Amino acid sequence: MMPESPFLDQCRLTADTRRHFLGWGMGGLGAFFLNAAAAEPNAAKNGASAAALQVQHDPSAPLSPLPPPFAPKVRRVIYLHMGGSPSQLELFDHKPELTKFNGRDCPEVFLKGKRFAFITGVPKLLGSMYPFHQAGQSGSWISDRLPHLEKMIDDMCIIKSMRTDQFNHAPAQLLVQTGDPRLGHASLGSWVTYGLGSENQKLPGFIVMISSSSTTANAGKPLWGSGFLPSVYQGVQCRTAGEPVLYLDNPKGVSRAERRQVLDAVDEINRVTYAEFGNPETVARIAQYEMSFRMQLEASDAMDITREPAHVLARYGAEPGKTSFANNCLVARRLAERGVRFIQLYHWGWDSHGTPVDQGLNVGLVDCCHATDQPTAALLADLKERGLLEDTLIVWGGEFGRTPMQENRGGQEMKYIGRDHHPEAFSMWLAGGGIKSGISHGATDDLGYDVVRDPVEVRDLHATMLYLLGFDSRTLSYPYQGLDQKLTGVKPARIVSEILA
Amino acid sequence: MPSEPRAPGSLSAPLYLLCVALVTGLAIATIMALRPAFAHKVLEMVGLETRQQAASGSFYAVRVAPLFAQHCISCHGENRAKAELRLDSYAFALRGGRHGAVIRPGEPAASELMTRITLPAGDDKAMPPEGKTPLSPDDVTVIRLWIAAGASPTLPPSAIKGAPRLVAEVTFPDSNPAATRRQRAPLASVMQQLSARYPGIIVYESRNSADLELNAALRGMAFTDADLKAFLPLRGRIVLMDLSGTAVSDASAETLAQMTALKTLRLTNTKTGDATVSALASLKSLRSLTVTGTGATKPALASLSQRSVAVHGDGDAD
Repeated sequence: MMPESPFLDQCRLTADTRRHFLGWGMGGLGAFFLNAAAAEPNAAKNGASAAALQVQHDPSAPLSPLPPPFAPKVRRVIYLHMGGSPSQLELFDHKPELTKFNGRDCPEVFLKGKRFAFITGVPKLLGSMYPFHQAGQSGSWISDRLPHLEKMIDDMCIIKSMRTDQFNHAPAQLLVQTGDPRLGHASLGSWVTYGLGSENQKLPGFIVMISSSSTTANAGKPLWGSGFLPSVYQGVQCRTAGEPVLYLDNPKGVSRAERRQVLDAVDEINRVTYAEFGNPETVARIAQYEMSFRMQLEASDAMDITREPAHVLARYGAEPGKTSFANNCLVARRLAERGVRFIQLYHWGWDSHGTPVDQGLNVGLVDCCHATDQPTAALLADLKERGLLEDTLIVWGGEFGRTPMQENRGGQEMKYIGRDHHPEAFSMWLAGGGIKSGISHGATDDLGYDVVRDPVEVRDLHATMLYLLGFDSRTLSYPYQGLDQKLTGVKPARIVSEILA
Repeated sequence: MPSEPRAPGSLSAPLYLLCVALVTGLAIATIMALRPAFAHKVLEMVGLETRQQAASGSFYAVRVAPLFAQHCISCHGENRAKAELRLDSYAFALRGGRHGAVIRPGEPAASELMTRITLPAGDDKAMPPEGKTPLSPDDVTVIRLWIAAGASPTLPPSAIKGAPRLVAEVTFPDSNPAATRRQRAPLASVMQQLSARYPGIIVYESRNSADLELNAALRGMAFTDADLKAFLPLRGRIVLMDLSGTAVSDASAETLAQMTALKTLRLTNTKTGDATVSALASLKSLRSLTVTGTGATKPALASLSQRSVAVHGDGDAD
């Protein structure tokens, strides 16, 4: 028998929390008074006591592929996060009534008891800046800002009734990406790689790319962090200009063989450490070194868009050597083909307050549309041609919506036209496997302020994504701090069955 | 005979019995009043009341009962009946609670239940109370329409017009590890050999399935016609095959034609062409085929498209 490792011993002791003690105690007491057996079926039916899914990776190969518990509709996810939060009222949520009341004072009923990030006093209603029309066979509404994406509208499912409870960027982004507005939780991609491992052992299962080399996320790297999950499941940020992964290449004058020798020595030390303390993070570290070594060849190939023919580059508007959303979209397709499970693209600049010029609905939003419209459409079309859209899920969206009122920061009229943060309603769209295409789901009121039909909470979206990947969000859990942590948290999450094909 | 002297304060036998009967009656009445659900059960048992039961498939059973079950019965059910109100059966719902009936058939506006579920969220009397999942506007409409139509236990869904569409809830199949093991058993040893020889590219579709997916694209040009042939023993189970960017060519046409379980086949950027496409005609399960970057031509693909196989790639060899 293996000698008890001090690390695991400590883990076990810290896991025996007051919660467990009380839980056990109450359960024992309860058994005296209640016919526990009779109460059981009810609990099981409600899913309250659904047993946690067993996810067992070989500690020395924590990314080896695991089949999902249920037949999956999609095998990978490409998540296009539009950081800063695009205005739904300028893109997808058509509100003619709002346009009619443009410039009028916002009705009192919408302001009473509300707190906004910047709006003060009585703001004016602001109609959409851009004309809307119906497009495609489905006749879904879309503005004139997305002429390329419009051609793919029959492949999209637009959710107009998204809701969140966070109105500042960082917590709202964390909620969308990790299921919790606080730091320390595991991101979507980490949950997915934890549950499924990685198809390709020469590439990370979860890759993150950012459109700009200078702007970073408000919430920073925790957006693709592994939180309480083992760190081997965190997202790996890659770049399309320069080395794909910083410090991945061998330093000048070091050959691959020499690198191998160094790794062998380091691995040996780590193995000794593991034998002594038994901390699985040590094995994860060995696995990560080994993956980087394998990645040296594979990653540069996967990220190298110069290997694409000219017509493909043109279709995406990609320019090799640059850092752009277009390049990232093209790389996303290449990664999808190579079995990367979760590909996360971030594009910043949608925070259209109207303060600086690049944050105006009339300027910055236009630039963002210009930078993302063509590549997003190209990505959809390209995946479709390769048959990959059938089992890929594309998710597009920001972290909240924007107000139907014009922002009046400091009670003043502002230089550019903008809208404030709006958690009550926003639009996202999904496309790909298992999704009913060419539909819109949910609706907001005539002014686009509140959701009036089929609200979709962020946790509902998460439960739906996990369902498509073959998981029940109630059972995909990880014990941490005495609680079976779940992506969807402790509140009940609903799989949005209306948008499923 | 002189009557026996009675102890002071004692009662005659009939009077005593009367008292006992009175006290018992009072006790029963009190219990009945405090526990109407119990009272009805007793009355039902002794045949003083007819049992009201909802018909399966009725509007109540299909639309209303699930809402009560989802939102109400944790407090108004068998294990707990706050205010003595239970909503876990039609009969209980109609009988009401401690304060009387909560549903007045045909009169939603006069029904306490309607009043409670339409109070603004912050109200102390609003139901479900704060912290519980509220009923959606559509849910409220369903209940209102049902009460307005007479709160019937039998009326079929089609008889109540204007009800919001019924939304199906997603359920997960029960997993049966033993059955899955049995299904996998015949091919287990082949599967073991092949996964050792080709690690990571042949995997089960899910934990509850014996169906397989072959992702040879991960091997690229190192995966050849001969390699594909090695997977023939699994032909009855491979449902998805991604051969994109591999060295597989038309020489594999015959192999592919035997992959009878195949639903999805991806040939992107391979040296395959019309010979392969024609061979696929025998695959009855095939639903999706990708020929982008292959030599396949439109005429050869036409027959597959007619069979409602989704063909990806335009078939213009380039």
